[in-house]
Amino acid sequence: MDLSLAIFVQIIAAVLLIIALMVGNAVVMVYMERKVAGFIQRRPGPYEVGPWGTLQAVCDSMKLLAKQLYRPGNVDLILYYLAPITAFFPVLLLFLAIPFGPWLTPLPVNDGIVLILAFAGLGVLSNLLAGWASNNKYSLLGAARAVSQTVAYEIPMILALLAVVLQSGSMDLKRITDQQGQWPWEWNIVLQPLAFFIYLVSLVGETNRAPFDLPEAESELTAGFHTEYSGMGFALFFLSEYANMLLVSFVAAVFFLGGYKGPFADGFWWLFLKAYAVMFFMVWIRWTFPRVRFDQLLNINWKWLLPLGLINLWLTAIIVKIAL
Amino acid sequence: MLQAIWDNIKGLYSLLVGMSITGRYLLSPVETIHYPRQVVADEIMASFRGPIQLTKGKKDPAQTRCISCQMCVKACPGHCLSVTKGDTKAPAQWLYDFSYCCLCGACVETCPTGALEFSHKVYLVTLTREELILDLLADLQKRAAILPESQPVPTANLAPPTVPDVESIGEPK
Ligand code: SF4
Ligand code: SF4
Repeated sequence: MDLSLAIFVQIIAAVLLIIALMVGNAVVMVYMERKVAGFIQRRPGPYEVGPWGTLQAVCDSMKLLAKQLYRPGNVDLILYYLAPITAFFPVLLLFLAIPFGPWLTPLPVNDGIVLILAFAGLGVLSNLLAGWASNNKYSLLGAARAVSQTVAYEIPMILALLAVVLQSGSMDLKRITDQQGQWPWEWNIVLQPLAFFIYLVSLVGETNRAPFDLPEAESELTAGFHTEYSGMGFALFFLSEYANMLLVSFVAAVFFLGGYKGPFADGFWWLFLKAYAVMFFMVWIRWTFPRVRFDQLLNINWKWLLPLGLINLWLTAIIVKIAL
Repeated sequence: MLQAIWDNIKGLYSLLVGMSITGRYLLSPVETIHYPRQVVADEIMASFRGPIQLTKGKKDPAQTRCISCQMCVKACPGHCLSVTKGDTKAPAQWLYDFSYCCLCGACVETCPTGALEFSHKVYLVTLTREELILDLLADLQKRAAILPESQPVPTANLAPPTVPDVESIGEPK
């Protein structure tokens, strides 16, 4: 691989843009989350700071920046400070493989989805480190839950994505996008509705969001694995959580919803529109369903999603074999 | 097995029902009232049980019906009432410490002459605890002066803070 200056500059620029995207996304998502929560509960949500409360999230992040970093006694120093960083950086890397537009892939890789799935697994490592290092029973419980949940939900997620990979014969996100058409009925969601459904459920489990937010269940574990983090430590977890949501939404958009392709004009706007539609869906279910119990959570996964994913994969394999 | 599958399909359907409800709420207008830019209509306030007050007299609205029997003082679990008998049956002083009141309504229930009732004051705010010791006789005089006898039901008499463009919203149910 010739690492010429051009590629180097391209990667640096992409990383900077992605950091901006992650921060901007967190601000937008906090605002959207609170507004949607408000409207679903028939109250206005934030509305005092700025027009329609739009500056509320900015104020909150300023507050987080200014907060003292408080560290409880008896923590494992190295791991305690390492955990937020390990939460943040893998996500950064993952965005590199997403094809944002016909000519807009930060780092074109052949096996983009392998990269994404491999590094997505690192996210749970940060949860584990944070929970272990905090020297707090709630953190530890949250971390234990995070690990078993993420490990469990990764499997149906991969199975669902594999079905699409089998069907399109490529692991390259760009090629998968290119095989889908501009109009909604030409997207993979029509051919793989079951895989999309499985992916949608396991995406909520994978990002630790309600109703599967057991690792940070407020009513049971105060805040789960990030209980003992304040200020920027917490902010980094927060950022990477929203970035993770954005990432799985991007993957959903690329794999099932035609990626950057859309009616009239292809471009990154379609990708963002689709990803934010998926995010809106996640916010919507968060404010609709109560949190599941842990055994229910694992039952949904092992008893339903996994067999369904396997059946779907087999069927896809057979059909692809016959059709070719 | 089939039963379990069928149950899960029904469960999925129930999830959709839930989402349709929240989706409908998402699109319907908000119910919250933006205090202090808007205030709740007086008709709605009529069902609000605020701090207790003395009812108006039958003949003279400024005259309390209280006969200083001390039943309410005994009934009150918070010991927040103190009624001092005057020369006649009518009380000379009627003090009510709202900071101890739990709004249980025992005083209202026990009063043999129906001299007590819940008010509809929502805007009661003070800076010190002492200001929460309310002189109900004086309050009664004030209300009687504001509302002549002919006028029906008394509503909140503590006026909401004056803020420009106060609009009153909400329909009586
Ligand atoms: S409402 Fe209850 S607590 Fe309040 S004054 Fe009456 S009896 Fe006492
Ligand atoms: S019970 Fe009624 S009549 Fe007796 S003192 Fe209390 S308010 Fe007056």
